[in-house]
Amino acid sequence: MGIIELEHINKYYQMGENQLHVLKDVSLTVEQGDYLAILGPSGSGKSTLMNVIGCMDHADSGEYVLDGEIIHKAKESELTKIRNEKIGFIFQKYHLIPTYNVLQNIVMPLLMRGMKLKDAKNESLEIIEMLGLKKRMKHRPSELSGGQQQRVAIARALVGQPAILLADEPTGALDKNSGTEVLKLFQRLNDMGNTIVMITHDLEVATHAKRIAKIVDGELTLDA
Amino acid sequence: MRISELLRLVWQNITQNKFKTVMTSIGIIVGAATIVMVIAIGKGGQMDVADQFKNLNAGAIDISCQVETQQGFGGFSGGRGGPDGGGGMPSGGSSGKSGSSSGSKGSSSSGSSKSGGGDFSGGGGMPPTQDSTGGNADGGSSGGGNSGNGNADGGSSGGGNSGNGNVNGENSGSQPDADGNSGMGTPPQGMKMPSQDASSGENFTPPDDGMDFPGASMDDSADLEQVTLTQEDAEYLLENMNDISDATISYTTRAGVDGGDLEEETIYSIAGVQANYASLSNLTLSVGEFISEEDNGNKEKSCILGAGVAEEIFGSAIEAYGSILYIDQRIYVVDGVLEEMGSVSSGISPDDTIFIPYETGIKYLVGENVSPTLTIIAEDVEQIDTVIAEATEVLAESYPNSEFTFSDAGSKMEAASASNQILTMLLVAMAVIVFVVGGIGIMNVLFVSVKERTNEIGILKAIGCSRKNILLEFLLEASAISFLGGVLGIVASLLITPIVQQFDVRVELSATAFLAALGFAVITGTIFGFYPAFKASKLVPVEALNAE
Repeated sequence: MGIIELEHINKYYQMGENQLHVLKDVSLTVEQGDYLAILGPSGSGKSTLMNVIGCMDHADSGEYVLDGEIIHKAKESELTKIRNEKIGFIFQKYHLIPTYNVLQNIVMPLLMRGMKLKDAKNESLEIIEMLGLKKRMKHRPSELSGGQQQRVAIARALVGQPAILLADEPTGALDKNSGTEVLKLFQRLNDMGNTIVMITHDLEVATHAKRIAKIVDGELTLDA
Repeated sequence: MRISELLRLVWQNITQNKFKTVMTSIGIIVGAATIVMVIAIGKGGQMDVADQFKNLNAGAIDISCQVETQQGFGGFSGGRGGPDGGGGMPSGGSSGKSGSSSGSKGSSSSGSSKSGGGDFSGGGGMPPTQDSTGGNADGGSSGGGNSGNGNADGGSSGGGNSGNGNVNGENSGSQPDADGNSGMGTPPQGMKMPSQDASSGENFTPPDDGMDFPGASMDDSADLEQVTLTQEDAEYLLENMNDISDATISYTTRAGVDGGDLEEETIYSIAGVQANYASLSNLTLSVGEFISEEDNGNKEKSCILGAGVAEEIFGSAIEAYGSILYIDQRIYVVDGVLEEMGSVSSGISPDDTIFIPYETGIKYLVGENVSPTLTIIAEDVEQIDTVIAEATEVLAESYPNSEFTFSDAGSKMEAASASNQILTMLLVAMAVIVFVVGGIGIMNVLFVSVKERTNEIGILKAIGCSRKNILLEFLLEASAISFLGGVLGIVASLLITPIVQQFDVRVELSATAFLAALGFAVITGTIFGFYPAFKASKLVPVEALNAE
């Protein structure tokens, strides 16, 4: 039993008169400790797949089980809880909250679980140190470089000890050096046992993963 | 999410942009300040009313007769004088009449010029020098002087009357009538009363007696509505009514006062009262003694000053006590000064009034033609209506054809507080409008804020922030902004208070007002903040996340 079990997922978008078949009978299994890159050009449906895996969007048909939770039957309120506990999101544009400082951004997922700020801070200190952000804790995102911001986002994704790290074009907004650094970090995290699903359009980035799944025109094909 | 953490985040959001927060809450600031002021001014008004009536005996009932026709009466007498003067009467009579009438009309320019004109023609043959000197000596009013002198013989009575007329001229309408009759003597029929006075013919048949009739009784029969209440009426009511504990009679007038520190003659309210007026109206003296029965009986020229009057004329109560002052150019001794009452009792403001013995005023100041007010004290405040009914019956025995106006202190208080309440309601309505406008302002800004922070809401939702928490966060933000607005509004009201007080408005700030303002502010903010917050909570995570 994998951490992610997608079975015959279909997703349609209604575009005026036309119905777009965005995900065509997608099936995918990701095991614990896996590092999967989903590679596809823009418009291939990879973002939709990412939203389905990330529990932010429902598939129109098919079954999805994430770490034992039956997602395709879950209500929005349950999905919210699952997102908080099972998934660590890393976005292309970091998506940090500009008015909060680094520490506050990082501990947000823990606060949402009902933890006190003090406890959440203690819980996340190890990760903050590991990502070299200790000196930046009081800074606001706007005071940091892109690479640093992405590290803050990664720390936020890790802090809740999720079942999977879901990264959407994590290097897309970064320069080459910062991008490489982030990919190295992913490698390290995967070595530590974290399951990573990375979505990218860049083959070079995708090659850092253990496995690559290609998505073209809504159809997913797995490389060996 | 813990509420404490939520509040921390909300606080951070608010303090991050202080200017925006203040601008958002400006409507609430104004609304809260309005509420505080409304309550404070309303309360001040209520306390004013309470203060005004605290000295007023709740059982006091004022009885007066409608006296609207009094001015008309004065006009009639003047009119009568005019035609008589020009009517080809025997010279002595005519001049006597016109002399008195013009004298009495000294203060009214049109009347005097008319009768004076008539007399000029009659007195044309007289030596002019005598004319003018006599005129100056006599009246000071040229019309009256001329006529009196022009008819040296027959006019002796006229001259006397004109002197009288001068004194009474200001106040009396009926006095000249009596004088006129006496002056005319011989041709009573020539003096046909206009219209309604048919019955008055009876009174005039013995003309000499007519002279002795007090003006009041003549008025009584001359005009069905017109009654001048007297001391006897007060005594009669007290004797014949079971449920009243006291009765008194008083009147107010205005007269020129001079003396003390006054640089020129100044008009003051003068009240003619009886000895029991002080206890009846709960007046207390700071120095001296109130008017006594003897003062009244002897028509003593003594007076009691209200605290305000004493201060204005003499500087202090002590200095006023025992001093003299001139009321209508007659010397009065200050026998006492009242404590500061700060109140209105029986329609008289004691602080600003000079009290003189009732009879003294009748004799020297107002003449018989006053419209005094009877005041009776009901023993049981609950029985006011019964007492009024009884008083009506008893008065009807004496004056079957007259109607009286009753006003009791209780209903005055009610009326005063009712009008005060209406004012408060108006102000509250205003405050509500301000709050609604302020609330819409908050809603508007929050909508913009939700729009601005759509991306942030998306992030929060992606990392697992529940709908409830998002709703709460925005709602708390609205409440907090309006709470701050409320606090600032209260501060603003504290700053406004001294300015409002400059306009002699009584402002009674209270903790209740502050709490009400805060409460209203927070409630308004929360209500108007709900919709934007609800909108925020309903955002779809994916869409919100990708919103720019």
